[in-house]
Amino acid sequence: MKIEEIMVKKLESVEANAPVYDAIEKMVDRRMRSILVRPKDEKDVYGIVTMRDIVFKVIGKNLDPNKIKVEEIASKPVISIDKDMDIDHVISLMNKFNIARVFVSEGREIIGVASLLDIMAASLIEKARGGHVA
Amino acid sequence: MLLEKVFSGGKAEQKVIENIKEHIRTLCSASDCFKKAIEGQDKELMFCVPDLEREGDAIRREIISTIYEGAFLPFLRPNICRFVEIVDEAFDVLEDAAHVFEYLGTTLDKEIEEESIKIADMNLKMCEMLLLAFETLFSKEDLREKNLAIRIYENKIDDIKFDLIEKLRKKEVNNFWEGKMLSDFISYLTHVSDVIEDASDYLYIMNVSLR
Repeated sequence: MKIEEIMVKKLESVEANAPVYDAIEKMVDRRMRSILVRPKDEKDVYGIVTMRDIVFKVIGKNLDPNKIKVEEIASKPVISIDKDMDIDHVISLMNKFNIARVFVSEGREIIGVASLLDIMAASLIEKARGGHVA
Repeated sequence: MLLEKVFSGGKAEQKVIENIKEHIRTLCSASDCFKKAIEGQDKELMFCVPDLEREGDAIRREIISTIYEGAFLPFLRPNICRFVEIVDEAFDVLEDAAHVFEYLGTTLDKEIEEESIKIADMNLKMCEMLLLAFETLFSKEDLREKNLAIRIYENKIDDIKFDLIEKLRKKEVNNFWEGKMLSDFISYLTHVSDVIEDASDYLYIMNVSLR
């Protein structure tokens, strides 16, 4: 099974120079744990801000999320995998890098995201259908 | 496996089992047809949903008649009938969604089209899984994992429903009926999975109660 078949296409993103508060709002509204940071220009790349970044780098340090820019706490470049990658390969990558979700790309464009929960659900369904389990 | 022993034997019982499989297969066909019709925004193709619903009704009547003629032990009969009725309810909800689709002019707004097709696709996969779950009663396979797969699909549909409602709330509607039809379409479309989940849960309870 390819990662494209199970990825979630629902992606939210913020501008790199937006305040962290904008990212918090979107993440709370959309019940997401991470959000993409759009490239500033053509030479720039996608970044990512997670709940951990916000809690540890802003809230935990008593900083004002309205005064901190997203790019100051974002991780860049975002780790992404090709949409055609097999799930078992993705699992070993996630295990190796100890990450809970991966972004899926097509060329330079990020087109989806897959979490451990998505992978577990897909594997259970595949097994129930009598197919291969990743 | 246990059901195989309980059900063993009689021609009437075999007839009911085969008819129940046919009933679920017909539901799969109706779901497939529904999905293709909204994908292609095809009014003609959507007519197959009420046709298959009527076919499902005929199969349900045959199942119930055979049971009342004496198939199965008396304590099993109400449970089997209830399961068949739940599956039949899924037909009804799907048919309601098909009718509302016609009222919508067989076109869906771009903002909700992709999600609606995705839900229709998952409804179809849930029907196929329900058939596998039913067949599990007569094999050594694990019914629990089919039941879990159905619950996973249902949770995914619930998530999409939440997003769709968010989108609908932001949408401007021109009149009462336009808004009502759109809201009804999403309600029916997302309710099919609830009913299939109920059927799957009932199957599981039937299996457990017979241990």
